[in-house]
Amino acid sequence: MWFIQFFKSSIGKKWLMAGTGCCLLLFLCSHAAGNATLFYSLALFQSYADQLHSHPLIVSIFSTGLLVIFILHIITGVLLTLQNRKARGHDYKVKKRSSPNSTASSTMIYSGLFILFFVLIHTYVVSFGDHSQISLTISYLFSSFYVIVFYITAFVVLAIHLSHGFWSMLQTFGVNHPRYNTMIRSLTYIVPAFFLLLFTAIPLLFLF
Amino acid sequence: MELKSNVPEGPLADKWDNHRFTSKLVNPANRRKHKIIVVGTGLAGASASATLAEQGYEVSSFCIQDSPRRAHSIAAQGGINAAKNYQNDGDSIWRLFYDTIKGGDFRSREANVYRLAQVSNNIIDQCVAQGVPFAREYGGTLANRSFGGAQVSRTFYARGQTGQQLLLGAYSALSRQIKTGKVTIHTRKEMMELVLVDGKARGIVTRDIITGKLESHAADVVILATGGYGNAYFLSTNAMASNVTAAWRAHKRGAGFANPCFVQIHPTCIPVHGSFQSKLTLMSESLRNDGRVWVPKKPGDTRRPGTIPEEERDYYLESKYPSFGNLVPRDVASRNAKEQCDEGKGVGTTNLAVYLDFSEAINRDGEATILKKYGNLFQMYEKITDSNPLYEPMMIYPAVHYTMGGLWVDYNLMTTIPGLFAIGECNFSDHGANRLGASALMQGLADGYFIVATSIANYLSTTNLESVDSADQDFSDSEQQVQDRIVKLLRCSVGGPEGKLTVDEIHKELGLLLWDHCGMARNKEGLEKALSELPTLQKKFWDKVYIPGKGEELNQSLERAGRLADFLEFAEIMIRDALDRGESCGCHLREESQTEENEAQRNDAEYSHVAVWEYTGEGAEPTLHKEPLVFENVSPSQRSYK
Amino acid sequence: MTTTSINLKLEIWRQKDSKATGNFETYILTNISTDMSFLEMLDVLNEQLTREGQDPVAFDHDCREGICGMCGAVVNGIAHGPEPETTLCQLHMRHFKEGETLVIEPFRSRAFPIHKDLVTDRSALDRIIQAGGYVSVNTGGMPDGNATPIPSATAELAMDAAACIGCGACIASCPNGAAMLFTGAKISQLSLLPQGHPERKERARSMVATMDKEGFGNCTNERECEAVCPKGISISNIARMNREFVKASLL
Repeated sequence: MWFIQFFKSSIGKKWLMAGTGCCLLLFLCSHAAGNATLFYSLALFQSYADQLHSHPLIVSIFSTGLLVIFILHIITGVLLTLQNRKARGHDYKVKKRSSPNSTASSTMIYSGLFILFFVLIHTYVVSFGDHSQISLTISYLFSSFYVIVFYITAFVVLAIHLSHGFWSMLQTFGVNHPRYNTMIRSLTYIVPAFFLLLFTAIPLLFLF
Repeated sequence: MELKSNVPEGPLADKWDNHRFTSKLVNPANRRKHKIIVVGTGLAGASASATLAEQGYEVSSFCIQDSPRRAHSIAAQGGINAAKNYQNDGDSIWRLFYDTIKGGDFRSREANVYRLAQVSNNIIDQCVAQGVPFAREYGGTLANRSFGGAQVSRTFYARGQTGQQLLLGAYSALSRQIKTGKVTIHTRKEMMELVLVDGKARGIVTRDIITGKLESHAADVVILATGGYGNAYFLSTNAMASNVTAAWRAHKRGAGFANPCFVQIHPTCIPVHGSFQSKLTLMSESLRNDGRVWVPKKPGDTRRPGTIPEEERDYYLESKYPSFGNLVPRDVASRNAKEQCDEGKGVGTTNLAVYLDFSEAINRDGEATILKKYGNLFQMYEKITDSNPLYEPMMIYPAVHYTMGGLWVDYNLMTTIPGLFAIGECNFSDHGANRLGASALMQGLADGYFIVATSIANYLSTTNLESVDSADQDFSDSEQQVQDRIVKLLRCSVGGPEGKLTVDEIHKELGLLLWDHCGMARNKEGLEKALSELPTLQKKFWDKVYIPGKGEELNQSLERAGRLADFLEFAEIMIRDALDRGESCGCHLREESQTEENEAQRNDAEYSHVAVWEYTGEGAEPTLHKEPLVFENVSPSQRSYK
Repeated sequence: MTTTSINLKLEIWRQKDSKATGNFETYILTNISTDMSFLEMLDVLNEQLTREGQDPVAFDHDCREGICGMCGAVVNGIAHGPEPETTLCQLHMRHFKEGETLVIEPFRSRAFPIHKDLVTDRSALDRIIQAGGYVSVNTGGMPDGNATPIPSATAELAMDAAACIGCGACIASCPNGAAMLFTGAKISQLSLLPQGHPERKERARSMVATMDKEGFGNCTNERECEAVCPKGISISNIARMNREFVKASLL
């Protein structure tokens, strides 16, 4: 099949990674919008959660879709890492990187797995928790210093992941043009910084 | 040895057409039955392999490098000439022909040079169609520049990487044929011997550079496209692996070697820094348009150039040649630089360099203008020497660059061995005693794309060829000879390196001997001295060379030793040829043959011929044959640059 | 220009042949002129080893002016050494310090098996070109060179891509052993020029398929290739290849 052929190719896998990454980024946007209600009040946040869960069909379709995309992103990522290690073969005695932002690009698999770990815990505690009491749950969670540290760490890692991921996604889609590259370069830092600020502000809201 | 040039009848302009019409063809269906060996994958070799395969022949292509894309044609910077007259500046096929034959100082064959000018236009069309990214004007048409002193703009170029782009074009055509299976590519294989059956070239013996394994390959025709022999001098602008072995092996099997003393020495190269130097880098000649050449008036002056006052500088080209000044032709500039250094006025750490000063041009036109013209060259110079020509004069010195001499070929590019063809720099045909800038690329591609296929069809259809196999006696004999030679080379390495010499040590000695006595300016005494010293050097090589390792492995010392052994033999005919040519011509000044103003004096009465050397056996003196040069369409004129 | 001499310690990968395991050997070099090129420094080492009766270090090299693409090794973790846009043969010893240790390793990738010491087999790159890195025209009968005008900016972009010397540094330095910059540069050149258009779809499919088959890794946009490329070839060529391949595969 032509599309299987495509996704089996190196560029196809890249596209799969970038495509699923793009969906996850969009999800992150909607999640961020939902969370932003917290800046107004806990009550508004609770009503947003209630509203959302009053449409179980929509929620289940979206969360299943999200799960599939998430799993695809992880599987492709792990597969690429394994294949690429094999293609690299013998490693160098002196390992040195010359490219910009190599910290992020060389640790995508680790930052990715850490985010997975966070998502699993987040899902267990929040998503499978009692939705009717969600505002209480998070108030309770964010009263713990360790939870806050873990939460902030997770979003720092996400920001690092995105600082390569966002640019990488555009490059994979072929978005590379001298006229727009300066803008793309700044977006590479603006996008992760935006999510980092927004999400880490929430626990700090509870702290002060 | 009979030298039949086989130049077709008829007026000059019609010869090539007539010839193509009278040449016999091979039926397309029969072409696949013919196997052709092409040695070398430079411009000539790659283009010939691709073209012959497209026409349906079975081609085996050999190269010494790990990929056919790396042949030394890739290093040509300047450009490629063609008589397109796109600039409407009065160019024509006839003018390109005339410039080339005059540039060669009337020592090449009229008919060959005219054909070269004729097909030059097809080359450009072909390369454009292949996707060669030539420089273009804003309107989208091809850009041209004037080059090498030509009065018309006929040089096509792709930045300073024209050779690379043209070679990659030919390589892409070759790659396409490899994909179709019509060309079998043999990389990292060095041709060690030519195999003759019934007096015809029928195959080669190669050594696999990785495993050291010897292999025989049989074919109906062998084409040599193995480049020039400039590395005989050890230091040259040639690639490290460029060598004479294939041509020399062919010569020893009976191919005449033409004009071996015709070597072009380029005036603007980065000078030698020390004894460790492995090769020389060419800087474009265009630098002389704005740079002024000088040396300190006082020999042995070691002051920094900036501190030497104007009146203590000798702008020797300007004072000696008031009308041409710094723009005298390559050979004159080269010769004078060597003269100044021989008088002790050379500069730099080795005292083998002259200054090329841009300060006046910078003061006149400003830094920006000069950088726009020469920025990339300045950069290249700074990368190698760590000195910026904007602030300190450049240092330059001549270096061996191109060899006009090569295997003698007739109009069909066939050597004196039936079935053995030589194309590109490997043959002697088109440049006479001096090659014009941007003409080497033109000749390589002309031979490969447009000429040799016609010759081969004619040869195959008019020759009775017995079927041969690489397992035949003739092949195994040749293989044995190659094997014996390798054993002989390794013979004196048994006792370890004590008291022995490395390959490069001996090669440097040979290089110096040739450079001193068979370089830009020659005289009888020096040449005779070189000739008498050569056997000692040869003996030293065979008695004392130390080569680590074995023959049956990747052994780069052994590769170099084999090539040096051939250079050492080849040097003899180079010197003999220089000795025999009692005239100054093209690139060379024969000190005995000068005008009253100490300029090169050509002697058409005695030397208007191609000197062709025949091998007559181990230890025997080679025989000289002469192919007279007849000029029916141009009349040889004497140059003057005063 | 100031000429000085430095002393160096070299740790070089020595491997007898493709089957041997190989290991690092340490050599001391004294009095190396800073005007030498890196390969001339290796020549000096080899002369020294030869005189000591040891096996010289095998390394590939040819033109020594940075255009043939034959030379290349990883010096202190960087393909072609520390100078940007410089091949190993054009790298000069003045960029190293007195007493420095240089670790010299061959270009490594699963697709580049080692023949001996620093000599590797890069023929996979030729096979990628054979898969479609050409315009399918036979010799002869071509239209006039000026028949199809090409904007000078387009020709320059194509030339930028065509400047690739095929040395393999991009692959050697890619953490994934991917050949995207090499392949992307050729696909780019021919997709920019009108001469390459008739075959552009087939070319993109075929060259990418061959690249994958040869055992090169998958690109994850690490940008190491661009950082070490001696000819400064941009990853915008990879982006262009991505577009070409997607168009060829999905449209």
